Amino acid sequence: MFAHIFRYRLKCLLRDRETIFWTLVFPLILAVLFNMAFSNLNKVEGFSPIDIAVVDNRQYQEDQYFKMTLKEVSQGDDRLFNLVVVSEDEANKLLNENSIAGYIVVEDSVKLVVNQTGIEQSIIKSFLDNYIQTLSAVNSILTLNPAGGQELFNELGNRYQYIREVPIAKAEPNNILLYFYSLIAMACLYGSFFGMREINDTQPNITPLAARINTAPVHKLKLFIYSMSASILIHITEIFILLLFLRFVINVDFGTRTVYVILTAIVGSVVGNAFGAFISATVKKDENLKIGISICVSMVGSFLSGMMYQNMKYIVAKKMPLLSYLNPVNLLTDAFYCLYYYDSLEKYALNMSILLIFILAFCSGIYLMVRRRKYASI
Amino acid sequence: MIIKVKDLVKRYDDLVALDHLSLSVREGEIFGLLGPNGSGKTTAINCILSLLEYDKGEIEVFDKPMTPESYDIKRQIGIVMQNVAVYNELTVYENIDYFCGLYVQDKTLRKRYVDEAIEFVELGDYTKFYPKKLSGGLLRRLNIACGIAHKPKLIILDEPTVGVDPQSRNRILEGIVELNKQGVTIVYTSHYMEEVEQICTRIVIIDKGKAIAAGTKDELKKMISMGEKITVETYGISPEQLSTLKKLPNILSVQYNGNSRLLIIKSKEGENNLETVLDFIKREGIQYGKIYSELPTLNDVFLEITGKDLRD
Repeated sequence: MFAHIFRYRLKCLLRDRETIFWTLVFPLILAVLFNMAFSNLNKVEGFSPIDIAVVDNRQYQEDQYFKMTLKEVSQGDDRLFNLVVVSEDEANKLLNENSIAGYIVVEDSVKLVVNQTGIEQSIIKSFLDNYIQTLSAVNSILTLNPAGGQELFNELGNRYQYIREVPIAKAEPNNILLYFYSLIAMACLYGSFFGMREINDTQPNITPLAARINTAPVHKLKLFIYSMSASILIHITEIFILLLFLRFVINVDFGTRTVYVILTAIVGSVVGNAFGAFISATVKKDENLKIGISICVSMVGSFLSGMMYQNMKYIVAKKMPLLSYLNPVNLLTDAFYCLYYYDSLEKYALNMSILLIFILAFCSGIYLMVRRRKYASI
Repeated sequence: MIIKVKDLVKRYDDLVALDHLSLSVREGEIFGLLGPNGSGKTTAINCILSLLEYDKGEIEVFDKPMTPESYDIKRQIGIVMQNVAVYNELTVYENIDYFCGLYVQDKTLRKRYVDEAIEFVELGDYTKFYPKKLSGGLLRRLNIACGIAHKPKLIILDEPTVGVDPQSRNRILEGIVELNKQGVTIVYTSHYMEEVEQICTRIVIIDKGKAIAAGTKDELKKMISMGEKITVETYGISPEQLSTLKKLPNILSVQYNGNSRLLIIKSKEGENNLETVLDFIKREGIQYGKIYSELPTLNDVFLEITGKDLRD
């Protein structure tokens, strides 16, 4: 009986194109879109030389120190600036065309001309301030101790760091991964479509098909479990396909704990399926409302776990920490990130424990509803 | 008795859907449950199948109390629901095989049963079709095949011909009679009196959750006073002539519809009713066209008992 029901259930579900689209194809499409949108975020953190100009006037030509300093920071692979020496009119023109971030005019003092504020303008200003302070310091020191000139110039180029970066884990922090992990978590919760279908097809007060099945000599709970096994198998396979796609096509890093990643995916799939079945068994309204509730919970959960706005995750963790633990999407996202980033499995174990409690709660609710033998109305 | 229902009461809040309904189905008969929409036919069937809770009463099937866990009893029942209940993702063959497989474990035996069911409902050319590609009539035949494939001893058909073309309907009715000849007990519910009259050996007429009449069709027709109904197409008849007509022997009621120009005369059972009416029409010089004489139908039985037509 198990083989018969399981086999036909697999056929039914695999031929349900709409559900397969939402649970498999849609997350794959989202993964591609995420990759297109976020892949450059890491590259942005690298530094590109800033385009600036300096006005070629008499004072600039006479200020050899400044001229030399500008030249030093404008050459080599690790240069700070891409420098052009032009007339003032031409500098204005370049600035108006946004070809340069700003231009420097050497008069009585060194001036910076910009037409907007931003990080590049701040860097140029910071450089000029640093030059002016250093020049002032050098002048003061030489005035007081002319003999210390050589030692002074030797020390000018040295910068001492009094802090150092100590990583708390072997992996490097990577904010982009959170988007992909929350995508996997959302896909896990989309297993609710399968779970909902299982209840719809076994509860006679929902569909005539279920009424027919209930007149058959098969224990209802067994029928539900056999059918649900097929649903979970299909959904887990879809999640694995998503994981493989993310790992080998999008190159998302899951860390080295492959077994735990697979376990998390399995638990996530079961949570999704159980959630859908629970909603369908307990909400006594039409199917559209149940689907709406399922999608709403998945999308709100995904938003709160940082899928659309990364900082939301931290806002929720700080302002409403309980909500973090009640959101299965967040628990799954965190679980994946814990496996990637942390050495200890403590937080991972906590997340998984809460997810297992969710599964138990959903299954208990389903059992209480499904075991009912007769109905007040059909 | 295959089915015994005693004093069944089912309420939906304030509405009494079944009001102390009692009926019994004998082995080997085609039992008809006839009543208008909302009379409680489907509710009664769902209670018998232990799908619905009921407030009071006893139900026995195959001489045993019927419960949701009565798997031995369920194994012998086939059900054809009012709404088509098949999987859209499975083909015709797969649907029948699936449902048959819930009753029959043996693969070889099941294959034979499925093939026989397909042949019985004449869906041999459509085995690889999906339900969405089938017409209404073919879909109903598939619905039937799914309910009978496992060769049950009792088949319950709940309005199986709704929305079906006449050809398919006739084929379905012929198939039911054929099944009955093979020894299967049939319970057939419908609001179409013509179907029930055509195939059922014993009929219970139900209205507002109550059984209002029971018996064979002849027994039911004898319950009412009307023995014959004569319809005359006439182009005009005066009220005085109508009044005189009503006083003729055996005449129960006379009714003239000016729009349809039909004069309907209901009379008691008698040999010369038509001749009496014709003599009167000729004597009075009433112009007439067609004349029909028919025996009472179950609708007439229902009308006389309840005061309304079956299709109201």
